[in-house]
Amino acid sequence: MNRQRWSCLLIAFTLFISFFLALSIGPVRISLFDMSATDKVILFNLRLPRILSAFFVGGGLALAGAIFQGLFRNPIADSYLLGVSSGASLGAAAAIVFRLASPLANFAAVSCFAFIGSLVALALVFYFGHHDGGFSIFRLLLSGLGVGLFLSSLVAIFMLMAGEELKALIFFFLGGFSSSSWDTTWVSLACIPLAVVAACYFAPELNVLLLGEETAESSGIRTGRIQLLYAILAALLTSISVSVAGLIGFIGLIVPHMIRLVFGADHRTLFPLTFFCGGIFLILCDTAARTVIAPAELPVGVVTSLLGVPIFLYLIRKESGDYNW
Amino acid sequence: MNSKIAIEARELSFGYENGLVLTNVSFSIGAGELVALIGPNGSGKTTLLKLLLGFLPPKTGQVSLCDQPLQSYAPIERAKTIAYVSQQPWLSFPLTAFELASLGRYPHASRFKFSSADAAAVERALDETGSKHLGERSFATLSGGEKQKVLISRALAQSARILLLDEPTLHLDLYYQLQILAALKKLCVEQRVTVIAVLHDVNQVLLFADKALLLNDGMLRAFGPVVEVINENSIRDLLGVDMKAIEDAETGGRYYLPRDPFRIRRQPS
Repeated sequence: MNRQRWSCLLIAFTLFISFFLALSIGPVRISLFDMSATDKVILFNLRLPRILSAFFVGGGLALAGAIFQGLFRNPIADSYLLGVSSGASLGAAAAIVFRLASPLANFAAVSCFAFIGSLVALALVFYFGHHDGGFSIFRLLLSGLGVGLFLSSLVAIFMLMAGEELKALIFFFLGGFSSSSWDTTWVSLACIPLAVVAACYFAPELNVLLLGEETAESSGIRTGRIQLLYAILAALLTSISVSVAGLIGFIGLIVPHMIRLVFGADHRTLFPLTFFCGGIFLILCDTAARTVIAPAELPVGVVTSLLGVPIFLYLIRKESGDYNW
Repeated sequence: MNSKIAIEARELSFGYENGLVLTNVSFSIGAGELVALIGPNGSGKTTLLKLLLGFLPPKTGQVSLCDQPLQSYAPIERAKTIAYVSQQPWLSFPLTAFELASLGRYPHASRFKFSSADAAAVERALDETGSKHLGERSFATLSGGEKQKVLISRALAQSARILLLDEPTLHLDLYYQLQILAALKKLCVEQRVTVIAVLHDVNQVLLFADKALLLNDGMLRAFGPVVEVINENSIRDLLGVDMKAIEDAETGGRYYLPRDPFRIRRQPS
């Protein structure tokens, strides 16, 4: 318990520092205690939405990864592996290429179609992964791989069809927060915290589900409903993240693993810690991405991989057999 | 809860489109009895367990737990009455033995707080299977027998009156097989827990179980005290193996050995 309290304090402190750093560092160095009018515009209209987007997207992607891994009882499950990201990309690409209007007022068309795309992908994965009234995890992962490849090919066709939108499309797929504004940030601000609360609330059920559907069912859990709920939550988190920041890999795989290796696999602690650490990680990566070769920017996905993968590989090397792989 | 009959099946049938898997199975099991479910592979044992747990809806017939129809139980209430130990799951995440056993408190524990009463129940459950000392160990690093004991502790932590186990001695060495069966027997005798376990070794059944349910081709071939229902004929009819009875001079017990171990052949039943 003590360890958890310390880690909460540490995470809160790191979050504060990373916000502070990310707000002050950039092509223009801003002192938060002595700001000019221009500084204020840069801070509130450019950096703050960007940092908030990075936080919620990082947390959202990390949490989506943790949910998929728990749901499929597989430590390598991830939004990318299960085709959900491809579905979200296809939806977003369709919205960009065909200039589709948003079916819901006040929601950006790209976000809406990314969400629809990810749900369609997930429905396909569940449809093909379903067998004799149950799921086989391997079947689901294989169908996720298949659906993901198929949808990626459709995205490629859309790219060929795109005329002047091609640039917007490529920009979107490279991933990053350079075009973040309050318009793109508020969707993630509104939806992601709700998904995080729901994911944490049902964590005890997902814990029991780690032992398989039958054990969960015999413990009094309506497994079908819980699986569906988490599938929708993970799809929601993925699609919002993809629609805000394009494709950013590895976070969903790396962050939950790191947390699990240090704090164990109990989803009640894993989910909130994963969300906050994913958010902090992406804020730091984005800050690095926009400062290392300023005024140009590195794609943030490159930074997440360069920073995250070595730490991840180190932890795997150190892992003492707890993972049963 | 004080009912003498813990679990009862009445004319239970189940099938898929291509025919019945279980036909007209009826029995009633009293509180505190250890019942062995025996039958060849594919005889409907797991289907029967799933019907008793309410995982599958029966085509005809009914299951009652403590004199109440199974379908009248809400899932959480059912979980407080009947617990299940499936065949060992593949767990790919790092959980300690204590954390794993704690999952059994799900029907009782509050969503936000794991109380000291819950922790005590888990400790007790680990103690009952002799695995208290494994609490802080990572489940993945335990041996097969230790894992099984922890999994049984999880079901015990559920504090249910009835415990169903699907092949609890599978893949275990003789030491752990006997240890697990002895722990189950102790639960029945000391705490009046009703245990139904799928077992394959007729001699272990004779040693530990009170009654046996013999199942073949989805039909109940015999049900009753082990010494009455297990004999050379019933073993040959049920398992298709020719066995001979050996008297143990010391205890007077009867045990069975294959008549010709080098030429085992399915006997026509």
